Amino acid sequence: MTTAKALSGRPIRRRRERGVLPLLLGPSVLLIAVFVIAPAGYGVYLGLTDTQLTGWAARDPQFVGLENFRNLLGSEDFLASLGRTGEFVLWSAIVGQTVLGMVAALLLRTKWLRGKGLFGALVLLPMVVPEVVASLTWASVLSSNGDGTLNRLLALFGSGAAAPLQDHPMASVVIINVWRGIALAMIMFQAALEDIPDELIESARMDGASALQVFRHITLPLIRGPVFLYLLLTTITTVGVFGLVYFLTQGGPGQGTELASIYIFHRAFQYSQIGLGSAASVILFVLLMILGLTYARLAKVEV
Amino acid sequence: MAATHAVEPQAATAPAGPPRRRTPTWSVVQRALQYTLMALLALFCVVPFAWVALTAVDADGGPTVRLPAFTADNFVRFFTDSGTPRLFLNSVIVSFAATALNLACGLLGAYGLSRYRFRGRRTFMFGILLIRVIPPPATIVALYLLMVKMELDDSYLGLILAEAAAALPITLWLLKGTIDAVPAELEEAAWLDGNTRFGAIRRIILPLVGPGLGAAAMLTFMHVWGDFLTPLVLLQSPDLYPLSIGLFRSFTAFHQVDWGVLAASALVYMAPPAVLYIFLRRHLMRSSLGGAVKG
Repeated sequence: MTTAKALSGRPIRRRRERGVLPLLLGPSVLLIAVFVIAPAGYGVYLGLTDTQLTGWAARDPQFVGLENFRNLLGSEDFLASLGRTGEFVLWSAIVGQTVLGMVAALLLRTKWLRGKGLFGALVLLPMVVPEVVASLTWASVLSSNGDGTLNRLLALFGSGAAAPLQDHPMASVVIINVWRGIALAMIMFQAALEDIPDELIESARMDGASALQVFRHITLPLIRGPVFLYLLLTTITTVGVFGLVYFLTQGGPGQGTELASIYIFHRAFQYSQIGLGSAASVILFVLLMILGLTYARLAKVEV
Repeated sequence: MAATHAVEPQAATAPAGPPRRRTPTWSVVQRALQYTLMALLALFCVVPFAWVALTAVDADGGPTVRLPAFTADNFVRFFTDSGTPRLFLNSVIVSFAATALNLACGLLGAYGLSRYRFRGRRTFMFGILLIRVIPPPATIVALYLLMVKMELDDSYLGLILAEAAAALPITLWLLKGTIDAVPAELEEAAWLDGNTRFGAIRRIILPLVGPGLGAAAMLTFMHVWGDFLTPLVLLQSPDLYPLSIGLFRSFTAFHQVDWGVLAASALVYMAPPAVLYIFLRRHLMRSSLGGAVKG
């Protein structure tokens, strides 16, 4: 009785409430269209103009076609910033976070290990920290006046003072980014490892496989999908890193840590070349897309 | 007393020996190695925090991790300094407003996406996710110029709208999933009882999507609270700066860094998201990782 009533009542309600949908979706669509999609599209257009932040071109920007793109691809500074972004992603995201995250996840899976709960919680901490605080705390640790924690530790081993942010700027920011990213890697790998049945690993161990062999021939192939999904996520995030590096080095010393994101910021807001900066954004995005599609393919191959 | 003591280890080793495979030295080495790894990783993650916590209460704080000469003076100076309470207040205003706007739009939108079938629904869902793949530094330049055109640059409102929109795709995805899990029959029953559609949303949906809403609130709040790039570009008036920019300025402006106050500021800055994280962590695990971590 009730169901019949509900069913017969529904079409009328539905028809009359067609107008509700725009009301529900309207605010979200509007916000996303104006503040997310429009900037993305506008950025592509700006990349085709010689827009400046100040000066004559600020008043009357001209359409210059692909000139910005030609200039960028012939510019050593830009190509170097792309190279540094590649280096940053390779070492911090692909090598550092993945390896340490995997080590942490495997440790958490070891049965007899004590203090796993505390360890898991401690590794999660850096993820929750705003990037400004992360930069600030590492600035203290790496402080070069011989009074930072790192230098105190080095002094304990009888080694002279180091100035890592000046002498090895890229390595420094890589380590800091690894620090922030281990937790996500650990969580994702932990979830993937949960799905592997214990018996599979135990029986392989019984057959005489070493821990390393088990990892390489059983564990790794089974978590291939999640690993590539993680690589995709972390690559996107790492290419987008700005505040962490900008806070510490502002791209320097020299241009030692001028990643593509910082190059764009400098071009647009320091040299006021909005058009050029936007074109650089477009190139960065296209490269990221290609990389992302490659990962997605690799992930799918044997999932 | 001495006798039982001597017997005990024997009794323990004898039965435990055979079932375990027999490479005692190797397994000891392996365990030592694993504990060392665990300790090193934990130290790597914790030492910088130790610095923030200890230096914030150190009367003579420097950049080294050390036992503090305890004082609350750094916090007092943070809150009595002419500029800093303002920074904190700005962060609070922008983050709460952006989170509220994000959740309001997200809840309505996710409800529409979950309960109505219309053309382009899937395209929209994937489209908003795909556009989020663009790294923020790649769109910030165009966003800034658009904001200037709309006369929304250098204002609370512009920053709030931009931040709320940036976090909206994730909120929509999260909340759509949560609302999908609420049976439509519950709502239909509420309509029969004379509720309007919005009445039913308030009475039936809202109480049931608490965890999803909590998770979305946390993610959005953390994103806005921690954001550095957007306020750096959109704001020019020091009056409007959030804490992230304030910390950056005070760190870079002077050669003489006041580590104690900086550490205290960092601690104050971290507190709201940390408190939120503690309260909402369970919800986050349940809703967003629910699929992956399998319960």
